[in-house]
Amino acid sequence: MNIIEVDQVTKAFSNHLALDHVSLSVPEGVIFGLLGPNGAGKTTLIRILNQITFPDSGSIYFKGHPLEADDVRQIGYLPEERGLYKKMKAGEQAMYLARLKGMDRSTANQRLRVKFEQYGILDWWNRPVEELSKGMQQKLQFITTILHKPSFIILDEPFSGFDPINSNMLKEEILQLKKEGATIILSTHNMASVEEICDEIALINRAQKILEGNIHDVKNRFKKNIYAIEMASDSCDMEPLLQGRYELIEKQVNPNSVGYSVRITDAKQVNGLLELFMENGSIISFKEVLPTMNEIFIEQVQTFNRQNSHE
Amino acid sequence: MSSNISLIIGREYTTRVKKKSFIILTLLLPILIASLIVLPVLLVLYNEKNQSANVLVVDDTDIFINAFEGSEKLTFSYQSGDINQLKQEAFDSEKYDCVFHILNNSQGLKSNLYYRDNLPSGLQGKLESQMNEIFFDRILQDSLHIEPARFEKLQELTKAEVTTVQVDDKGVERENIAEMNEVIGMICGFFIYFIIIIFASQVLRGVLEEKTNRIVEVLISSVKPMQLLIGKIVGIALVGLTQFAIWILLTFAILGGVQLVAPNLFQSETATELAAGAQAGIQDNVNIFQTINDYFPISFTEIILCFFFFFIVGYLIYATLYAATGSVVDNESDSQQYTMPVTIPLMLSIILIPSISTNPNGQLAFWFSMIPLTSPISMMVRLPSGVPLWQLLTSMGLALLFLVLCVWFAAKVYRMGILMYGKKISWKEIFKWLRKA
Repeated sequence: MNIIEVDQVTKAFSNHLALDHVSLSVPEGVIFGLLGPNGAGKTTLIRILNQITFPDSGSIYFKGHPLEADDVRQIGYLPEERGLYKKMKAGEQAMYLARLKGMDRSTANQRLRVKFEQYGILDWWNRPVEELSKGMQQKLQFITTILHKPSFIILDEPFSGFDPINSNMLKEEILQLKKEGATIILSTHNMASVEEICDEIALINRAQKILEGNIHDVKNRFKKNIYAIEMASDSCDMEPLLQGRYELIEKQVNPNSVGYSVRITDAKQVNGLLELFMENGSIISFKEVLPTMNEIFIEQVQTFNRQNSHE
Repeated sequence: MSSNISLIIGREYTTRVKKKSFIILTLLLPILIASLIVLPVLLVLYNEKNQSANVLVVDDTDIFINAFEGSEKLTFSYQSGDINQLKQEAFDSEKYDCVFHILNNSQGLKSNLYYRDNLPSGLQGKLESQMNEIFFDRILQDSLHIEPARFEKLQELTKAEVTTVQVDDKGVERENIAEMNEVIGMICGFFIYFIIIIFASQVLRGVLEEKTNRIVEVLISSVKPMQLLIGKIVGIALVGLTQFAIWILLTFAILGGVQLVAPNLFQSETATELAAGAQAGIQDNVNIFQTINDYFPISFTEIILCFFFFFIVGYLIYATLYAATGSVVDNESDSQQYTMPVTIPLMLSIILIPSISTNPNGQLAFWFSMIPLTSPISMMVRLPSGVPLWQLLTSMGLALLFLVLCVWFAAKVYRMGILMYGKKISWKEIFKWLRKA
């Protein structure tokens, strides 16, 4: 079942089109990567999901019904531009935001104390936010995003402003939330984290969705039949042997091994390629190279932009 | 979802009320006001104490013998002889505080007031005015050749007195004190002005704060922008009302305290006049309202009701407009070019307070008390002098209508404005928003 279905959503601002008939669906219980260059329309889509702005046309379905005002209580949102009241005390502020999400005072207080403890900021409960370090403010904001146990969480660039240790902690927390059954939309430019934790992705460029699907399917779809083979250094030089039959992309000589990157024209040629290497030396490793999300991102966006500028 | 509004109101209220600046201002002002009332009384009392004096009059002209009017604290004695000798004796014997020597001089009424330790304040003025009066009476009396008793009668008959009487639509006549109307009107006008300036601009700053520190996006993912706006405006209004309530209570409490500590403070003759208002508040509420009611062409209760109407509507009009302004700018210094169209009518109505209060039924007063941006102040200035009912109702109706328009405008602009960062929003764009939804 899909927790969110975006159906033909269009949104125009006074001088540009932010979303152009975008449709996508987010299956329940996954981490969904929402990717795209700056200004592609991601933030507009996220704001529409949060009912901060409304589409000009098209509709949104949340758990099967048209998205309605009360649904915001089941949604947790961490905007890209973080912000808190600077003069307000950390605990008081978190309580306020929690109660705006419909939590009662005692539950909010109880859960907040646990989370503050877990994130090591309990001592700062009674301090104004402006006295907290930037990292602590990020933690505080993340806590307020997930405190009401939303079933649907939208995180816009959640890793920005976190050091590697806290970044890792945040990653673990996101995976934990998924394990507990939440669906998470992750909007980010950090492709490494997308590969690490996302199950599904959608790529938005110039107001249009240009790619959507399971991350493994997407990678397979864009694989280029490239294989990386590592041979022991006492093996034959493969370069002349490959010539004419396979395309050698790169050869790299290491102290104890030689690495080859070879492209085949047809997936059926893979056994022949393996045989050729086996006959001429000892193989250390042989593996298919799948494109990284980074490569797919750049290529897809550039291809799309090229095509559209030709029109 | 209405609980959200009360949560927002609660936050807006408590964060402001807990601020140091709020507490200081709230406590300080009553002390200031109370001391403004008590200090003059104390000064007068102090002076009165000093004023007790025995004056020896040495009159070389013989015109002023036994003519000066004294009081309990001021006595006059008369002697004639050599001034230097009398002066010496008077001061040495310590029987007299001052020696007043009137010279027989062809160039006019010349006199010297000698004193050794303290010159009672006001004595000089008192002597001068009495001398003038006595002298002219004497001249009149001499030239008319009439006996003193008849002269006194004549004086009484020729005393001029002007009573102002206002006649209203129905021909009802009413004695009133024009100056009193002016003062009450001006006070009401200024009061509303300060409320708008202080609290409506807090709305602007609050909106701007949420926008610049970017918390607004989190907030409106939980609540509707309109709820946020209403919560803020109402919360700040409550802060204002709290402050006034504390001001009024504390002022009376302080004055009451002073009264308790020094029960005779307000009893002294001169002081009573000065402290009339304050004392009335403490002791004699009913009576003073009765007296005030007799003065005004419309009842005091009506004035209070109208005051609250214009106070609330005026605040709401400006608060919503300021909120819209706060939402379209990125920082406070930029906000001025947008608040200008709103601030100009406000400035205008404050500048025009004196001319409206001196001519409360003129063309200027009429139009300014009809235009909604100026009417909360201008109408309050006119009101104590009496305003035809249809004008009052029209003015109120127009203000309410305009308020609805402002709320509509602010809601549209606010919703869009708070999410726009980094670019200047033109008036053209604002008009586009208004037309759109």
